[in-house]
Amino acid sequence: MIVIEDVMVQFGGVRPINGLTATLTAPVAGLIGPNGAGKTTLLNVLSGFVTPVRGNVMLGGQPLLAMTPLQRVRHGLRRSFQTEQVVEDLTVRGNLKAIADHVVAAPDRHEAIDEALTFVGLGALGDRLGQSLNLFERRLVELGKCIIGKPKLILLDEPAAGLTEEEGNTLRELILRVPAEFGAQVLVIDHDVELIRAMCKETIVLDYGKLLAIGPTGTVLAHPDVRRAYLGEL
Amino acid sequence: MSASEQTAQALPARAPASKTLKQLLHVPLTMAVFALVVASLANSFWLSAATSTVALSLSVAGLAILYGQLGLVSLCQFALVGVGGWVTLRIGHAFHPPFEVSMLAGGIVASFVGLVFGIPALRLRGLYLALVTLMLAGAFQIVISAWGFPDGGPGFLGRADGSGRAMLPRPDLADGAVAYFLYVCAVTGIGLLVAQWHKLSRPGRAWTLIRKGETVAVASGVDVLTYKAWAFALSGFLAGIAGALLAGNVGQLDGRAFGAFESLNLFALAIVGGVFNWYGALIAGLLLRAIPALLTDLGMDGYMTIGIFGVALFHALATAPSGIAGQIAALASRLRRAAGREQ
Repeated sequence: MIVIEDVMVQFGGVRPINGLTATLTAPVAGLIGPNGAGKTTLLNVLSGFVTPVRGNVMLGGQPLLAMTPLQRVRHGLRRSFQTEQVVEDLTVRGNLKAIADHVVAAPDRHEAIDEALTFVGLGALGDRLGQSLNLFERRLVELGKCIIGKPKLILLDEPAAGLTEEEGNTLRELILRVPAEFGAQVLVIDHDVELIRAMCKETIVLDYGKLLAIGPTGTVLAHPDVRRAYLGEL
Repeated sequence: MSASEQTAQALPARAPASKTLKQLLHVPLTMAVFALVVASLANSFWLSAATSTVALSLSVAGLAILYGQLGLVSLCQFALVGVGGWVTLRIGHAFHPPFEVSMLAGGIVASFVGLVFGIPALRLRGLYLALVTLMLAGAFQIVISAWGFPDGGPGFLGRADGSGRAMLPRPDLADGAVAYFLYVCAVTGIGLLVAQWHKLSRPGRAWTLIRKGETVAVASGVDVLTYKAWAFALSGFLAGIAGALLAGNVGQLDGRAFGAFESLNLFALAIVGGVFNWYGALIAGLLLRAIPALLTDLGMDGYMTIGIFGVALFHALATAPSGIAGQIAALASRLRRAAGREQ
């Protein structure tokens, strides 16, 4: 469970997040909003790359903001990036090992990597170099990295960007299995409303750094304010 | 699941450790073959050139860590070679310890200086880091041309000023030219092995993540500061050992040979040789010392190499960013695949 209390981020005179309060409990939750709504800033607040000027964030009852980004990773926070970040000259296995090195105890590393490889279905590609992977395989590697080392919260920034519908569906099925199989809550940030609708029980909508709506995805997406601000309906 | 998929999934269970070992074995084997071929064929002129070739390739291996692994452009590597050489000579003339002790001292001090030279890299990347490190190389050039290298004189600087210049004795077990060449090959082999081990294991993986981006590295749990510092220290250490081996080759070093241009040249040839394969360092060393020696042997001006290197660098940057070593590796894997198809 993520509890966000009165968080404000300020860059000079701009407030990309302005007094945000929200509680997310669904195993797979969604975060949407138009460009500049503060989605990525919120993601950076959660992962520790942006420090808010005030407010509080609790993850599973523990205060998050007091921890450095590195401590958060060791505490079980994982994130993927909008552009995939697979290392070209490491193998698939090496890419997973690169995170396992720091978040899994040495004797269990091998097993954790095998488990992640099997989960994302890349078992046969373990020895392939990152540079030879297509976008879908790269996205799968990114997901694989997120589930290594007992994650508590996984932040996925547009995980399906650039994928075909079929690939997106496969990825969606995998993401939906994560909470039950790895015990982590997943927060998905995306523009793709259909993806969010199909995947997330609960959704939070931001606009100009403020909370526009939060609640069950169906209800939120039907909300008149959300339709106006995000879907462009009058 | 098909049979081939099953084997592919069953294999990795025991593969990684032994595969790393196999990749590491390439280093001593190649070095041994290279050392034996050169030692049995070369005359004294070529043996001396080959000795500096091998020694310098160790400093290129340090550069390859910074540029190939972390993506950081450091243009002061030859200055660190100079630091290693200076300390080795200083310790050697002052206390007359075994050569290995002076050499290690040179490596350790260069490693610290490398760490200090790396401080700008905590903030800077790309062109700015290149400029700052080039200025550091320039600063070293000024210091070393004023101080010179110790040659058995009194005081901190150890300058004999003309009369009674002493030579640093070579290691006891490698006094002759051939023996010293083999000694340099052995030390360099160990150094290249250490660098290659780093590349294939935990630090190497952390470094490649830092190259992708510091936020990416942090998000994977990498302690960026520690791993960057480690890379600079290791790179400096390898440069320092290279300096010590150069000092041992002729027993003295010349301050004029450690200008900022040499650092630039070293970096350019590291790229031409290839920073992504370990033997790229050896190729760069050959380019640095063997090509000028070849031209001199043919009665041409060694400075012609600067023009040749310029063309080679342009070629590498335009068509082969992984350098000669990368092209060799690509050719080898093509041949392996072709052989695999025939079977």
